Amino acid sequence: MRQLSNSAVPAEVPARGRERSFATEAGKLVLGAGEVFHGETILAITKALLQAGVAYVGGYPGAPVSHLIDVLADAYETVLKPMGVQFEQSASEAGAAALLGASIHYPLRGAVTWKSIVGTNVASDALSNLASAGVTGGALIVVGEDYGEGASVIQERTHATALKSSLPLIDPRYEMARMVDLTEEAFGLSEACHLPVILSLRIRAAHMTGSFVCRDNRPPPYGTRNPFPEARYDYGRIVLPPSIYEHEREKAQQRLPAARRYIVAHRLNEHLPGTGGRLGVILQGGTYGVVQRALRRLGLGNAVGRTELPLLVLNVIHPLVPDEIESFVAAKDAVLVVEEGNPALIEQEVRAIAQRAGSACRIAGKDVLPVAGEYTGEVVRGGLARWLTDVAGGDLSRRVGERQRMLSEAVEQARSMAGAALPPRPPGFCTGCPERPIFSALKLLQNETGRLHISSDIGCNTFATLPPFNMGSTVLGYGMSLASAGAVGPALGKPSVAVMGDGGFWHNGITTGAANAQWNRHDAVLIILENGYASATGQQHVPSTGRNASGKPVRLSIEATLRGMGVNWIRRVDSYDVQASMQTLREALSAPAGGLRVVISDQECRLARRRRDQRLRQEAEAAGRPLRRARFGVDEEVCTGDHSCMRLSGCPSLTLRPPADPLKDGPTAYVAADCVACGLCGSAAQAAKLCPSFYRATCTSNPTFGQRLRQALAGRVMNLMGAS
Amino acid sequence: MNSDRPICVLLAAVGGQGGGVLGDWLVEAARIAGYPAQATSIPGVAQRTGATTYYFELYPDREPPAAPVFTLFPDPGDVDLVAALEPTEAGRALERGFVTQGTTVITATDRIYSTAEKTVAGDGRTAIGAILDGIQQAAGRVIRFGAWPGQSLNAVLLGAVAGSAVLPLAPDDFRAAIRARGVAVRDNLAGFEQGLQLARRPGPTVTTDPATRCEPVPPILEPALAMAKLPEPLRPLVGHALARLLDYQDAAYAARYLRRLAPVVEAAVPAGDAEHRLVATVARRLAAWMSYEDVMRVAQLKTRPGRLARIRTEVGAGAGEPVEVVEFLKPGREELLALVPRALRGWLPGTGRLEAGMPLRIRTSSPSGYAALKVLAWLRRVRPHSPVFALEQAAIDAWLGAVVTAAGRSYSLACATAELSVWVRGYGQVRARGRSALETRFADWARRVESDPEGLEAEVRASIEAARNDPDAGCSTAAQPA
Repeated sequence: MRQLSNSAVPAEVPARGRERSFATEAGKLVLGAGEVFHGETILAITKALLQAGVAYVGGYPGAPVSHLIDVLADAYETVLKPMGVQFEQSASEAGAAALLGASIHYPLRGAVTWKSIVGTNVASDALSNLASAGVTGGALIVVGEDYGEGASVIQERTHATALKSSLPLIDPRYEMARMVDLTEEAFGLSEACHLPVILSLRIRAAHMTGSFVCRDNRPPPYGTRNPFPEARYDYGRIVLPPSIYEHEREKAQQRLPAARRYIVAHRLNEHLPGTGGRLGVILQGGTYGVVQRALRRLGLGNAVGRTELPLLVLNVIHPLVPDEIESFVAAKDAVLVVEEGNPALIEQEVRAIAQRAGSACRIAGKDVLPVAGEYTGEVVRGGLARWLTDVAGGDLSRRVGERQRMLSEAVEQARSMAGAALPPRPPGFCTGCPERPIFSALKLLQNETGRLHISSDIGCNTFATLPPFNMGSTVLGYGMSLASAGAVGPALGKPSVAVMGDGGFWHNGITTGAANAQWNRHDAVLIILENGYASATGQQHVPSTGRNASGKPVRLSIEATLRGMGVNWIRRVDSYDVQASMQTLREALSAPAGGLRVVISDQECRLARRRRDQRLRQEAEAAGRPLRRARFGVDEEVCTGDHSCMRLSGCPSLTLRPPADPLKDGPTAYVAADCVACGLCGSAAQAAKLCPSFYRATCTSNPTFGQRLRQALAGRVMNLMGAS
Repeated sequence: MNSDRPICVLLAAVGGQGGGVLGDWLVEAARIAGYPAQATSIPGVAQRTGATTYYFELYPDREPPAAPVFTLFPDPGDVDLVAALEPTEAGRALERGFVTQGTTVITATDRIYSTAEKTVAGDGRTAIGAILDGIQQAAGRVIRFGAWPGQSLNAVLLGAVAGSAVLPLAPDDFRAAIRARGVAVRDNLAGFEQGLQLARRPGPTVTTDPATRCEPVPPILEPALAMAKLPEPLRPLVGHALARLLDYQDAAYAARYLRRLAPVVEAAVPAGDAEHRLVATVARRLAAWMSYEDVMRVAQLKTRPGRLARIRTEVGAGAGEPVEVVEFLKPGREELLALVPRALRGWLPGTGRLEAGMPLRIRTSSPSGYAALKVLAWLRRVRPHSPVFALEQAAIDAWLGAVVTAAGRSYSLACATAELSVWVRGYGQVRARGRSALETRFADWARRVESDPEGLEAEVRASIEAARNDPDAGCSTAAQPA
């Protein structure tokens, strides 16, 4: 631990970054016309952007779209730059949305990406203004949105944003060639209606594998290699009165109608007539697979997509085209709307369209399907079966009902064999994660201070809200932890503690958190976990990493930034030193002057460090240089089987071993071979005065002559004392 | 099952086990063999070190009449193969309805314990036998495999997938996929071959804990053990305890163990201890308590002959490769005082500073560090003169007295009381608090046993429960007398 003065701000660029390589993926981005792409959807979409002739790409990482940014960052020098395409990893989603401002005046196609709904929320100020001003060049936003198993954020729909800002929203049918086509069509749609377009992908779809036949990449007509000849000004694009009144009229009377015309003309939605009949299903493109599967399993379809029921597949879920809906509904007695997410925006609109058309068709949706949650195969099959038994009548009702009953019974019977309750297995910190020890320190510190109000943030650090730490009273958004405790400290009469990653700090915490707390003289302690990356989304670079996403060496300093704001109480601790962290936190909590105190818990993300270490080890090994490898161990006889160490750690490599000693109460602690010797076990054992069973063993391969000699001599002496 | 359907494969794993690579191999093998196929996964932070699945579908016709419609979700009752890298994750697949009569299950049987299992004081492990039995009953076919030292589990599992022949892919397609992916090709091919053999000739894989092992009775204590009145089945355990206490202190101390056990044995029979549960519990817990770990004991264990050799094996040190071993000790004030003869204790200045303990990092791989621990270990000869020793012995006797008293009134209360010693654990202040809490509880014991044994038993059980559920409470209020 050291206190930093202004002059002690580390100026050197740390040896961080550039440990991951997406060279293989980048190679697929240059496939030419007629060549076949094999890979994951998110990479296919990235390729589609280049085929569509984008002039610029930006975004903020978040599952499942991080990969788009990762690959383009790696492909910058070899693919993007020669084509004249700009690329940046924006500082936040708001920055990414604002980047699309380039398409307002200029015929530049641009794409940005982020995780929805959270990223869309961050971006919404720029997005609303962009949608109002309208675009000249096609503007596309690729978002990842998910329900259920794949989701790690609040369950809300981007659809609502699309509705209020008049943004066309594509939810494509998950077939790779179709998704690539729709991505390219999105730019045409955007240019036709002068609105930015959103393409939404669920996580399983983003990581779906498949293939498609490529087209050539199109260099943008204007870009870094061919600058646009003039800067433009047009008051009509400024969001002030009276333009805004005109924008609103335009959206309703020109832009959305133009979008509908484009959707029809380019057949973006798909009508599968089936074998006719008076029942039909209207579905979001993204639910096509589960609907088809459910129909097959209910005996109403086959494996290559031939169904009895007519289907209207909405690849564009906003705006809907009333004519398409009307003519689908017109000839039907009953229609089911399959729409994932809450509220049921499509269903409401379909009902309204049908009612306006005077249709007598019975429309069902969230009355037979669940209101909330992920639409898995089982869920959709259940809903379809319920709906069909209800509306089909006669033989079909009986057939479907019987089929579903048989399927359910077989599954329920098998499920009833499940022998025992299974242990929950939520995600957690990785082996050796540098974020874990600060929570060990906080857990121990609360034995002295009583329970503290700890506000949590977004990032790997959110895992501390789970066992064994169970720590973090609120999570209000990325970089929001400090601000979210603003009214708590005074109310509890003691300083609050906010935890934030360096990613969160640069994203939003710097203004919403630090500047706000400093300006309003909050009595608060901010812990910044500086691990050097946006780790939760895959070790993307942040401003303090040392390099930007395109690899240029540039580093912004967290301390210098805070000092520039006038925050003077800043301490940096080695995150693996639990006792030093506890001592620093004690000082921070009891600092008499009040105001904002910042503790920077400093150690590099272990995943990134491991990649580099692995490379360095291979080099050292090849060169025959001495090489140290360390791991922790537990003396089984010393371990009491109390597992306090695990309640302070939760490290995957600190695990259990069945006891050999009949006097033990249960399994003893055991350090598995994947231990990276981060040091937490030893440090926590000392800080908490746990049992002394831990040891660290360090083996040196390729020892020097001196090292060998010392080892041999020590061995002799110790054998005399009875060590052998 | 309808033949006009894709073959559906669910891979279940714990984040970090290599399930993603396994999925890649399947996709690549299908591509090589020319079958339409699709895979998906939920990577990223939502699954890091947690339960995760990968899903794969293959259409078993190289030239389908039209593009097959694949889906991204397994559907209960429609999964042909569940391949799990961890047995409770196979269990999770069953719980979610993905294992039915038409399903082949291939599962590793080696556990990766979850945080929930690890943080319990004592044994919080899930019983794996019942889970595997359930899978056996529900599935059409089960292939289990244990650990393959030196092989990557996902490659072994891929081999077993190939061997199970659920997919219309030849072993060579998989081998080509491993080569095409280009990661650790030689090792993965070796693992693949192991798995392939295993699936073709599946043998039963037994997964039980290695049995605990009782030390033989030291000869010097044989006569005493022979004379002791004990239930026959417990003699090996008691012999083990005697060996432990002889190693811990001396023969006299071991003999004291037998003397302490005698009244419990005597009280147990009339109390109804036909199965010897009470005596077994006390015999085990008494030996553990009497060999409580203090600085001397830890030093003794850490200087055992052969320990360094064991650690060398553990880190895989080759001949001539130096290994440095560092111990992390932090004796507290009470433990340090225990090392100082009583007469000198008054002379020590300001021991209050030691309240927080004295962090020591000792290199037992160096002669000086090893010698220092040897000296500490030797000090066990003066252990009986330390005040802590006296406190521990008094607490032990109070506990044993409480057990015997309880046995005279209620057998189940006696059994519960025997478990109460769980509170005396850890080191330093935590241990001292636990000890004094027990003494407080036993203060009014005899009267409570007489007047309200049921109420008392409920309190005792709640206290044991609290010890297990809130183990860091040190001394929970539940341990205090009502």
